[in-house]
Amino acid sequence: MDFSRLELTSEQSAFEQEIRDLLEAHWTPNPAHIALDHDRSPEAVRLAMAKRGWVHPKQKPEAGGAGLGEVEEEIITELFNEYFIPNNASSDLLIPTLERFGSDWLKANVLPGIRTGELTTCLGYSEPDNGSDIAAAKTRAVQDGDEWVINGQKMWTTWGNESDYVFLLARTGPIEQKHRTLTMFLVPMDAPGVEASPVWILGGGRTNVTFYSDVRISDDYRIGGINEGWSVMSEPLATEHGAGVVTEGVVPINGSMGAGFSRVFSKLIDGAIDWAASRTSADGRSRLEDPLVRIALAEAMLDLEVCWNAEGELGKPMAAEALMANADRLADMAAPEGILDFGVDGSIAAGIIASERQHAPGSAVYGGTTEIYRNNIARGLGLPRPY
Amino acid sequence: MAIDLRRNDYTLSDEQGQLIAMLRELFAEQSPMDVVRAAEPLGFDPQLWTVAQHNGLLTIALPEAVGGDGGGLVELALTGFEIGRAAAPIALLDHVVTLRALASLVSASQPIGSVDWESALAGDTILSMAPISSWELGAELVPSGAVARAVLAYKGGELILMTRDTNAPQAQNEGCAPVAWWNPADPEVTVATLAAGAQAAEIWDMAHREWRIATASSLVGLLEASGEIARNYAMERQAFGVTIAKFQAISHDLVNIHMDERTSRNLTLKAAWLTEHEPDFRPELAAMAMAQATRSVLRSTSKAVHVHGGMGITLEADISLYYRKATSWSLVGGGVRRDLEEIGRAIDRRALERSLTDANLALASTNR
Repeated sequence: MDFSRLELTSEQSAFEQEIRDLLEAHWTPNPAHIALDHDRSPEAVRLAMAKRGWVHPKQKPEAGGAGLGEVEEEIITELFNEYFIPNNASSDLLIPTLERFGSDWLKANVLPGIRTGELTTCLGYSEPDNGSDIAAAKTRAVQDGDEWVINGQKMWTTWGNESDYVFLLARTGPIEQKHRTLTMFLVPMDAPGVEASPVWILGGGRTNVTFYSDVRISDDYRIGGINEGWSVMSEPLATEHGAGVVTEGVVPINGSMGAGFSRVFSKLIDGAIDWAASRTSADGRSRLEDPLVRIALAEAMLDLEVCWNAEGELGKPMAAEALMANADRLADMAAPEGILDFGVDGSIAAGIIASERQHAPGSAVYGGTTEIYRNNIARGLGLPRPY
Repeated sequence: MAIDLRRNDYTLSDEQGQLIAMLRELFAEQSPMDVVRAAEPLGFDPQLWTVAQHNGLLTIALPEAVGGDGGGLVELALTGFEIGRAAAPIALLDHVVTLRALASLVSASQPIGSVDWESALAGDTILSMAPISSWELGAELVPSGAVARAVLAYKGGELILMTRDTNAPQAQNEGCAPVAWWNPADPEVTVATLAAGAQAAEIWDMAHREWRIATASSLVGLLEASGEIARNYAMERQAFGVTIAKFQAISHDLVNIHMDERTSRNLTLKAAWLTEHEPDFRPELAAMAMAQATRSVLRSTSKAVHVHGGMGITLEADISLYYRKATSWSLVGGGVRRDLEEIGRAIDRRALERSLTDANLALASTNR
C-alpha cells in the first residue's frame, strides 16, 4: 500500500514541460468545454502527439509508442484535464485485437498508423433496433469473390464523422444464430457508400448514425475468422468496461470511463467552490460559510472521493450516477443561477454545471448502460446471468 | 504550476494478508453467531476479550516504543474489518484507539491520570473515548462506555480522562452496543486533565480521526458479511422456478451492496494509510471514510434484509442481527452530518488553493 507523493525525475519533469508546450501551442483552453470524457481530441493536438509516440505512450517505439511508463501516461492524462482538452485519441482498445486477429495486409498497411495515432478509429456495434443486445445486429456483410458487400445502419457511432476506420460488427449468416454468425471488419470511413450523419445529444455533443450502402471492401479488412466476430469483439469490449485493470500503482483504479467521469465531476466541484467564494450572503458573509452550501459541497466531495475508490468495472456506474446526482445537487445549491448557460450574464462556473446536467445522463448510457455493467459485475460475483 | 502526482497502490503486504487470515480464523472460531447472540444485550463477551488479550490483538496496532507490535492504522483497519465481519462483541477498537492516543503522552513521560499504563496495555483496564465530547456539554453517550473504566474526552480545550471504579450502566439500544452515559459532573466519575492548548487539540484531532477510521473499518466488516449472506441467500432461494439471483431487481441490488463494500473498504484503507504516513495531507479523509461506511452500511444492510423477504425481518435470521448492529455501531460517533462538517476542511483548503492560482480566473470571469 502506498499513496505517497511521486517525486518526478528530471526526465519526467522535462516531459511534463514538453506536454505543456505542446498543448499550449495547439489549443486554446476553453473552460466551458466540459464534455471532456466524450469528445474527440482536437486533430492538431492528436497529430502532434502522434509524431512523438504519445498517443499510446506506453507502447514500444517500434510499435508506434514512446516506451514510457505509467507515470508519463498519468502526466498526459492530468495535463489534458488541466487544459480542458478531451483526451480521446487512443485506439488502445483495438490494437491488441488487430495484432492478434488482423490480416497480414491490415497489419502491414493500417496498424502502424493506428499505433502512432495518425489514424483514428470508432466503434460500430449498436444499431437502430439493438443497443445493449449487441448480438442482434442486422447489418449484413455478403461475400462476393474477394470482396465483401456491406449494407446496414449503425447507431451511436461517436467520432464516426472524424475517424479513419470503423470497427464494424456485421452479420455473415442466418440472424437466428445470433452471436454465431457475426464477423468483424475494419471499414475505411471514406469507402464509397459510408455516410455519417449527426445525432445531436443532450449537452450539445455529437454522435452519429452511420449508413452503409453497398459498401465494397476487400477481404483484407476482415478481422478474425468468418462468424467468429463475437470472440474477436469481446476482448476490447471488456477492456472498455474497465475489467481486469492492472495498474502499477500510479493510475487510478476506477477504470477508463470511471476515471474520466470523475475528472469532470472534480471540475464541477471547482466551479461550485469558485461560485460560492464569489458570492455574498445577506448577512455579509461569503456563501462559502453558508452551512447549506457547505453541506452540499461536502457531500459532493465525499461522492467524488468514493468514485476514485471504485475499482475496475465498478468505476463507470459509480461515477456516472454520482455525476448525474451531483450536477443536480450543485445546480440546486446555486439555484436559480445554476440553470444558466455558458456566457450568460451571471452564469455560474462558466455554465459547466448547467451543461453537465444535460450531458451527464449520457454518461450512464454510452460505452454500455449502467444496467449492462451491473449484469457483468453480477456475473463476476458468481451470480447467475440475470434476466 | 507543476503537476502533483501520487501513488495509488492499494495492495496489501504478505504480512497484512497473513494478519487477515489469522484474524478471520480466530473470530470464526471464537465469535460465531451463537456467541454474538449470547453476549446480548450488553454486546460484550468477557471470554472473547480474554481471547483477544491472550492472542495479542490489543497490541497489534501499537508502537513498539510503548510495548506494542509496531503495527499502524492500516493494521488496525484490517482488524476492524474482521471484527465487523464477525459482528464480534468486543470493545477492542475503542480500546486500541484510546491506547494509541495515550501512547503519545506515555512516550513523552507525561502522566495519564489514574490509569496504569501496563494494566491498560494488557487489557485489564478497558479504555474508550467520547467522540462527540467536543460538541456537547455535560453528559454524553460513550461507545464501549458500559465496559470501559476510563474514557478520553475533549472538553473546553482540554484533553481529559474520566475514570470510574465501577462500570457505567448500559443505555439500551436495538443493536446492543455497549454504550453508556458518562458525565464529568457525576460524583462517581473522576476527571484528570491530561493536556491543554495546542497539545490537547493535536492529540484529540488525531485520536478522533483514528476513531473514525477504526469504526469505519468495523462497519465495512458488517457490510461485507451482510453482502455475503445476501448473495448466498439469493443463490439458494427459489421463486417462479429459478433462483431469485436471476432477477435483475435482486441481482442489481446485490451489485449495489458490493459497490458499497468495495468503495468503503478501499477508502478506509486509503484514509488509514494517509492519516498514518502524512497526517497533514487531506486530513478530511478519516471523516470521508466514516461517512461513506456509515451511509453504505445503513442502506446496504437494509437492502440485504430486503433481499431475504419476510425471513430478513425475523430476529432469528443472521441478516437481521447484522442490520441491528449496523444501526447502532454506525451512529455512536455523532452521525454523517458531523462527518460532513469535518469534510468542510477540504472545502476551505480547495478554495484557498484556487484563490492562489490563475486557473480559475476564466471561470470566475462570467460570475457577477
